[in-house]
Amino acid sequence: MNNGGAQASSSLGIASLLPVIIFLVIAVAMAVVLRRRALKGAKGDSFIEEYYIGNRSLGGFVLAMTTVATYGSVSSFVGGPGQAWSIGWGWVYMAVVQVTALFLLYGILGRKIALISRRINAVTVIDIIRRRYNSNALAVVAAAIIVVFFATTMIAQFVGGAKLFESVTGYSYTTGLVIFGITAILFTTIGGFRGVAWSDALCGIVMLLGLVVIAGGILNAGGGYDAVMATIETNHPEMLEPLSNGNMPWTLYFTQWLLVGIFTFCLPQSMVRCIGAKNTKALSRAMIIGTVVIGFMMIVATSLGVLSAGILTEDLSAYGNSIDNIIPAAIVKSLPAWLAGIAIVGPIAASISTVSSLLIASSSTIIKDLFMAHREKNGQAVNPRGIAWGSQAITLGIGAIVFILSLVPPSVIWKINMFAFGGLETAFVWVFVMGLFWKRATKAGALCSMIAGVAAYCISMGLGFKLFDMHQIVIGVTVALIGMVVGSLLTKPAPEGELADFFPEKS
Amino acid sequence: MKYGEKLRQTNHEALMTLGALVFVIIVWLACGFGLAGLDVQVFHVPLWVIGGLFGTWIAAIVSSVVLARLFKDFSLEDEDDAAVVADEVHHE
Repeated sequence: MNNGGAQASSSLGIASLLPVIIFLVIAVAMAVVLRRRALKGAKGDSFIEEYYIGNRSLGGFVLAMTTVATYGSVSSFVGGPGQAWSIGWGWVYMAVVQVTALFLLYGILGRKIALISRRINAVTVIDIIRRRYNSNALAVVAAAIIVVFFATTMIAQFVGGAKLFESVTGYSYTTGLVIFGITAILFTTIGGFRGVAWSDALCGIVMLLGLVVIAGGILNAGGGYDAVMATIETNHPEMLEPLSNGNMPWTLYFTQWLLVGIFTFCLPQSMVRCIGAKNTKALSRAMIIGTVVIGFMMIVATSLGVLSAGILTEDLSAYGNSIDNIIPAAIVKSLPAWLAGIAIVGPIAASISTVSSLLIASSSTIIKDLFMAHREKNGQAVNPRGIAWGSQAITLGIGAIVFILSLVPPSVIWKINMFAFGGLETAFVWVFVMGLFWKRATKAGALCSMIAGVAAYCISMGLGFKLFDMHQIVIGVTVALIGMVVGSLLTKPAPEGELADFFPEKS
Repeated sequence: MKYGEKLRQTNHEALMTLGALVFVIIVWLACGFGLAGLDVQVFHVPLWVIGGLFGTWIAAIVSSVVLARLFKDFSLEDEDDAAVVADEVHHE
């Protein structure tokens, strides 16, 4: 189980290890420097404002990169291309829908969230929900959902990165996990939100670089572009069809549009970035830059999977019977040790950038949304120094738990990631969209939406129950919608004036 | 601009964004599935792939640029308070 099915283990030696180590050292150094600078210029009033939202200072480029890097995970580099190796261009055609993620986020929610969060002094997404619905119960449910799903996602990311590391470098899974896992936890704990955002920017750049290196390797090993493509056409002509001979039915296109395209803007880890924006210009810039970058990343990364079919021509069983082994196999087959080392920095960066963002967000959920809110509710004061210490301890603590759980990995990354993905989207889509655009939405509606939606999603996923053979996101989102509408209409609307911060007053 | 006005503006922006989404979906369909029938290849890649991938990407980029242009900038700080406005004028 531990070997993850990696075949004839390569031992590329220390050369393949150096690029990752250098990259990680830079990331940690950056976190330390940023923290020193932030504390020097601190407004003095709030550790929380700096640690969890970087004092709302992110400019366009960093905002774009952190959103892309947080969203783009190991599955974008390993699982996705792996599927493309098997299915063909149809999978890439499906992956390109992710290109809408950034402009939907910044166009629909960006400014509204930025505006409202400053008005009500919100630092987290749950702060906004709590204030909008005036419900502690809802906040606690949301917090629980976030912590559980973020935890599973973080583990999946660590697992994916470590498996890739092991397959390519030949060093053990645990070695890899220790090297980049502990580093990621450290720089997140030290750097807070600002550190995460900037390291995400670095990760984003490195992700792009890694893609270029892998592409070069595959084309070179395949005897050049023409040869690679000719091989694919000869061996798997169905890969050139959108429906891939039944492997890629239109229903899958539809549900993937929902899952990784349209509803991604409701992921709390995406929405929180809007809170951290410096100004509206930053949001607009992030929208443009982010769309360019994510398009490049998703098109190139997933296409690499198709290209790799030109050099990995055997059956899946030759590659450990898992599509997650495809890209590692391609790297090993086509690149010398030092280049392979550079190539893997890309997917590892994708992994740790996602983990760092989820980790700091999980920490904020525990400290701000659960602990501090509880104290406030009971009218108890909060010791600022205690909070500063506690926030970092919790970040470190959650990181440690995720690390330990990642040591014994579950089997398929892609499915796990998508489970949490869909669950988070189901939980938050209507609670947020209706919350911000429909004045009539009430806390009962929000509670119904979140609980019924997530329950329906998880149960149908667990049972493998599908409607019209479509992914369960359809079930989850529909049930959540019904819950929101019915729950809201059956209960009294919020008293006049209570929602002034969320809805423009009648002038 | 008063806070309420800004909020109203964000509602319009959201609607415009939805329009952009519809546009991108149409492009995705037309340039991918729409071209799938043609047996043409560009650099060994079927035309529908080129169209589906780059057509959609470009449509999204164009949408982002247009939206960014249409969205008017405003201050995220609370300008309802006269003191804050005076303060900002000093900082310009």
